[in-house]
Amino acid sequence: MQRLRGVVPGLAVGLLVIDLVGMLVLSVVTPSFLSTYNLFVTGRDLSILLLVALAQMVVLSLGQMNLSIGSIGGLVAIIESGLMVRYGVPVPVALAAGLVLGIACGVINGVLVYWTKINSFVLTLATSYIFAGINLGITHATPFYHIPGEISSFGQARVGAFPVMAAVTIVLTVGLAFFLYQVVLGRQLLAVGGNQLAARLSGLPVRRAVVTAHAISGFLAAVAGTMLMAQLGQGQPTIGATWVLPSFAGPIIGGAALSGGSAPVIGTVLAMVLISLIDDGLVLVNADPFWVQFLIGALILGAVVLGRTRLTEIMAFVLRARPPVREELTR
Amino acid sequence: MSAEPNPHTPEVRLEVSGIRKQFPGVVALDDVSLRLRAGEIHALLGENGAGKSTLIKILTGVYQADEGEIRLDGAPVRFASPRSALAAGISVVHQERNLIPQFTVAENILLERIPTRGLQLVDNAAINRLAKPWIEMVGLDAAPATPVAELSVAQMQLVEIAKALSLQARILLMDEPTAAITPHEVGYLFRILGDLRRRNVALVFVSHKLEEVFELCDRVTVLRDGRNASSDVVVATLDRDQLVTYMIGRAEVIAELPPKPEPGEPVLEVRGLTTDPRDSGISLLLRKGEVLGLYGLVGAGRSRLAKTLVGEIKITGGEVRVRGVKTRINGFREALERHRIGYVSEDRKQEGLILLHSVRANTSITIWRRLRMIGQWIRRAAEDAAILPSLRQLDVKAHSLSQPVGTLSGGNQQKVSIAKWLAAKAEILIIDEPTVGIDIKTKNALHELIWDLAANGKSILLISSDMPEVIRLSDRILVMRNHAIVGDLPNTHQYDAMSEAIMAQLS
Repeated sequence: MQRLRGVVPGLAVGLLVIDLVGMLVLSVVTPSFLSTYNLFVTGRDLSILLLVALAQMVVLSLGQMNLSIGSIGGLVAIIESGLMVRYGVPVPVALAAGLVLGIACGVINGVLVYWTKINSFVLTLATSYIFAGINLGITHATPFYHIPGEISSFGQARVGAFPVMAAVTIVLTVGLAFFLYQVVLGRQLLAVGGNQLAARLSGLPVRRAVVTAHAISGFLAAVAGTMLMAQLGQGQPTIGATWVLPSFAGPIIGGAALSGGSAPVIGTVLAMVLISLIDDGLVLVNADPFWVQFLIGALILGAVVLGRTRLTEIMAFVLRARPPVREELTR
Repeated sequence: MSAEPNPHTPEVRLEVSGIRKQFPGVVALDDVSLRLRAGEIHALLGENGAGKSTLIKILTGVYQADEGEIRLDGAPVRFASPRSALAAGISVVHQERNLIPQFTVAENILLERIPTRGLQLVDNAAINRLAKPWIEMVGLDAAPATPVAELSVAQMQLVEIAKALSLQARILLMDEPTAAITPHEVGYLFRILGDLRRRNVALVFVSHKLEEVFELCDRVTVLRDGRNASSDVVVATLDRDQLVTYMIGRAEVIAELPPKPEPGEPVLEVRGLTTDPRDSGISLLLRKGEVLGLYGLVGAGRSRLAKTLVGEIKITGGEVRVRGVKTRINGFREALERHRIGYVSEDRKQEGLILLHSVRANTSITIWRRLRMIGQWIRRAAEDAAILPSLRQLDVKAHSLSQPVGTLSGGNQQKVSIAKWLAAKAEILIIDEPTVGIDIKTKNALHELIWDLAANGKSILLISSDMPEVIRLSDRILVMRNHAIVGDLPNTHQYDAMSEAIMAQLS
């Protein structure tokens, strides 16, 4: 755990405990929690929302935000489905075009943030309207139905309870962690997020780091949009419309510093598991659907407060019981 | 450690005794006492980590003591919050400015008591009128409506003092007020503090500069490792050595620096360098293995010159030669990778380090590109192998390479910010104010380190406004004033003669 830069070990352990307790409680309270189908559906939602959260985490690690993740996901999904349905473009070409579009949207965000020096909150709020506006202009809010069968069956594919789409998420999550902690550009990105001035004074390419972070964010949003399209079996223009809250809740509960410099991949994964459990639990106990949004908001608020204040302290206290290993550098 | 009887035995205003404060895993203060008298300036000294800040935070209600007693005018008090300490007449002027830069001087002074006309409308005229007497009392030469952002550091400090006075402060704590201001401004500040002493304010003065304590203070309390090393001693009864012994627990040994080879061939030559049409052109010559001191007051243009040399500020005229070759330096990366010039910035927390990140990442940041393998990734083992020699050479003390650099002591942070340039094999180091805010013990260690680097062939441009530092370390001293070099003095290392010669250049 110590190897992973930006991870608050106490927090991650605490989140893991809460996740396990939550699973235990849900499986006792509602036996249907452990049903294959429920695990599959929950796992599939999690695979998509985790990418959304990581898309935000990358930009948060830079000390910036991306409010356009949802509208990039939506735009990519309708462009891909539109190319396939309307123009009969082969599946791989359409998907590749969609992912390139996602990256391009991210690059636009990054370049604009870097050149204009406008606060990323304001800037990506504006571009989110632009991307969503293109989406609406093209679709007039009507979905592209009847996407090719191999895509929708990929969205439904499972091995036991394991959703096949989750494999994509796992690969991307591990790849992102490796990139951020072990690859030069990823480290430069974290350094720029931690202290932009110090990074620049050490000769790091700040612009490249900023643009890369936004490009990765756009790419992950595009993959998430594509996966949701596959799951729904159609190019829904509303894809991504509800992603803002989970995108921030994951990294923030997971221990990201809003000031930048930390990229808690494990924390974000565990936080998204928690959010999925909350989500799933509300469905399983038949919570009034009209109050679900309220409950999710309140529970996430509670989780953030707990996660960021108490949990870190409690776990730090528990973990301190062990004597720290002293490794003098100057033996 | 009993105090000498004071001739006029002024009233004891604040008496602190038996204070203990524990944080998880560490006792910050243990049985600490402090006695402040009206009309006296009391020095509070100690090395970094000795507990000065904790004590100040207890006096100002930020922390509450676990044990012990605070008596104000003889009556026991408890400060549950900074508000209650303020209400009792205790104000603090922090090291970090606590002003709102966009607000005016007057608004900052009256911040929590902004006068209003009916309907809670702000009465600007009244703000300026009410603030004026306090501005005049501290002799601040600025209109009440001036935005604080336009003031110098020293002026901001005066605004903070004015604010404290306007709050009817009877006890004023000054936390390292002289760390960031020029000698001239220090002189002015001391006159103001002298005035306050005559007005019967009880003052606490925290500083690392012992000369200032002897010049200004009446009594002194020294903390060491969270305990009183001395308490309430009359300054006039002490000499410097005794004071240092209190602070570091033994007599100070300023080791004679070992002889160093004569500087070699020129490595960095600057002729007629300008960055602004108003510049008269700067010339300097740095040789291999030389420490070239660059002395000047804050604002003389030293840091600007440094940043120009590493390509951060655009050159408009003149020429730069590195190892004899005429060149243009465009940016830090080129400075480092092509010319092997590293810049240890003045403000390590803002500019030098990423406090949240590990010692490892902060040291290797300059060599990530060199370390990368095929596929752009870095092997941890190769990374550690590349940085450990530098960290060992500088004797950086850390639990592990993964420890966040923000949790190291100031001296060790400074060493890390030098180590990263050594790891990158920089040959020319521009070191800007290396020992600001660093205690005596560590300062000596850093001095020996810089000397050592030069003895081993590094060329060092040492920028400092600390005259003893420049005179101790430099082979030659350049004196800078108003963006021009006004003197180039060979250094005899004789402090009195050299300091006079430098001051002569400045006036």
